[in-house]
Amino acid sequence: MSLREAEAPLTTIAAPPAPRTWRGASVQARPTALWQRRRAIRLLVARDLKVRYASSALGYLWSVLEPLLLAGIYWFIFTQVFTRTVGAEPYIVFLLAGLLPWTWFNGAVIDAARALYSEAKLVRSTNVPREVWVVRVVLSKGVEFLLSLPVLFAFGFAYRAPLDWHLVLLVPGAVLMAALVLGIGLLLAPMVVLVRDLERVVRIALRLGFYATPVIFAVSDVPGRLSTVFALNPLAGVIELTRAGFSAEPVQWSHVGVSAIAAVVLLVVGWAVFARLERAVLKEI
Amino acid sequence: MGSATEPVVSVDGVSVRFHRGRRHRSLRDLLIRGEGGVRRDEFWALRDIGFQIQQGETVGVVGRNGQGKSTLLKLIAGVLLPDRGTVDVRAGVAPLIEITGGFVADLTVRDNIGLTAGLHGMSRAAIAERFDEIVDFSEIESFLDTPYKHLSSGMKVRVAFAVVSRLEQPVILVDEVLAVGDKAFKRKCHARIEEMVAEGRTLFLVSHSDGDLRRFCARGLYLREGRLVGDGPMDEVLMAYADEIRESA
Repeated sequence: MSLREAEAPLTTIAAPPAPRTWRGASVQARPTALWQRRRAIRLLVARDLKVRYASSALGYLWSVLEPLLLAGIYWFIFTQVFTRTVGAEPYIVFLLAGLLPWTWFNGAVIDAARALYSEAKLVRSTNVPREVWVVRVVLSKGVEFLLSLPVLFAFGFAYRAPLDWHLVLLVPGAVLMAALVLGIGLLLAPMVVLVRDLERVVRIALRLGFYATPVIFAVSDVPGRLSTVFALNPLAGVIELTRAGFSAEPVQWSHVGVSAIAAVVLLVVGWAVFARLERAVLKEI
Repeated sequence: MGSATEPVVSVDGVSVRFHRGRRHRSLRDLLIRGEGGVRRDEFWALRDIGFQIQQGETVGVVGRNGQGKSTLLKLIAGVLLPDRGTVDVRAGVAPLIEITGGFVADLTVRDNIGLTAGLHGMSRAAIAERFDEIVDFSEIESFLDTPYKHLSSGMKVRVAFAVVSRLEQPVILVDEVLAVGDKAFKRKCHARIEEMVAEGRTLFLVSHSDGDLRRFCARGLYLREGRLVGDGPMDEVLMAYADEIRESA
């Protein structure tokens, strides 16, 4: 048997035929290469979900347990201990609609930051676009978010939240979140390989970031001019979109606009940094 | 896969620099010393390497330890990028280097075969079609549903070799994997490599065994201190290499 081009199996199995020229590879070449290897991403995401949901008896429960418990605690503190003046009715739905996207963001940023570092062996031995390792984390966590939405709906029905057509905004909300997390992940993943203790900084920043994000309150609850600062948090717009369908309040489109701009900027900057540091990262891991 | 005149691998003016110092910088170093600072402990693992390889050529890389052989293979595999120069590979590559690296300890052997083959670009249909072949070759049937981490190191290499050597890629890279495994399995690996060469694939072999090099490779590349000091028929290259060994002995 010879390796002629006409042979069907070879052409379908062989990796992308485009020549691998590293010098002068343009910016749009990277997303293209990533798209060509989307099967690798699907494979890795499927593997993550399999590990998550098949290998433990409580599989599904685990992914919703943390936001549920947190929602329970915040609900208790802010409605039973303190007298609540923030958020919207029903508060437990308001909380969950903020906590579920936050859980995605938090988990994905932590995992994406160490994506290259923790999969060093795979990164060293397989020639897939290195972005795959970050995208895979963002999508795995995203799927977990989608799978946790039924819980939000259940609470929405049970507490008679004013559900309306704004529920469709969950879709652009998820897209926006994926773009944001991908940008941040692409920025952090190579830096964490080169500067190890950055990972700890990320964790601390996330912990503080929780209180800078309108999860347990709304941007409009922040007094005075500070509310403008909170509106600049790129997550405010994402959470606004998640909450829109469960609330009668008008959607704050300015927050969404800020999120969209931040997502685009972070994606461009993150991808540029990733491409620039890739060579050094491959030597270090 | 290109026409007959277009080389399947071209390496042009390639240099790779490594740092000898500490592997990881800390935030403190970064903030105090600044990232841009030139580090004095760098060295060039490869210097200004250039060659071209046509489809179907069999190339052996010789040189002493630490002269850049594995670095060169990693460049062709695309898991390392050159600091200078270009590496063009115009066909898919099956890298038999660090082959067990792609395997995940907690997943079963079965899942690992699917994952690794998929990551290297094998389609789902092809994996299904070749699955039995892979299992047969690695002699691992009764361990299919065992987590990979519970296999012996010999078994691990067997599975890994079985998967990667089943990739239908036109270029094969082999780095020392033949050194592991028992005699019977080694013989099987050799037979498999010969089969792949006979199919007209391009072979790139790093080895310290003159026998293997003569057997599989028509052309030799000789690396010394990161430079390409020899490129020609395998026998001549091996003779030149033998001279170096004699000199230093």
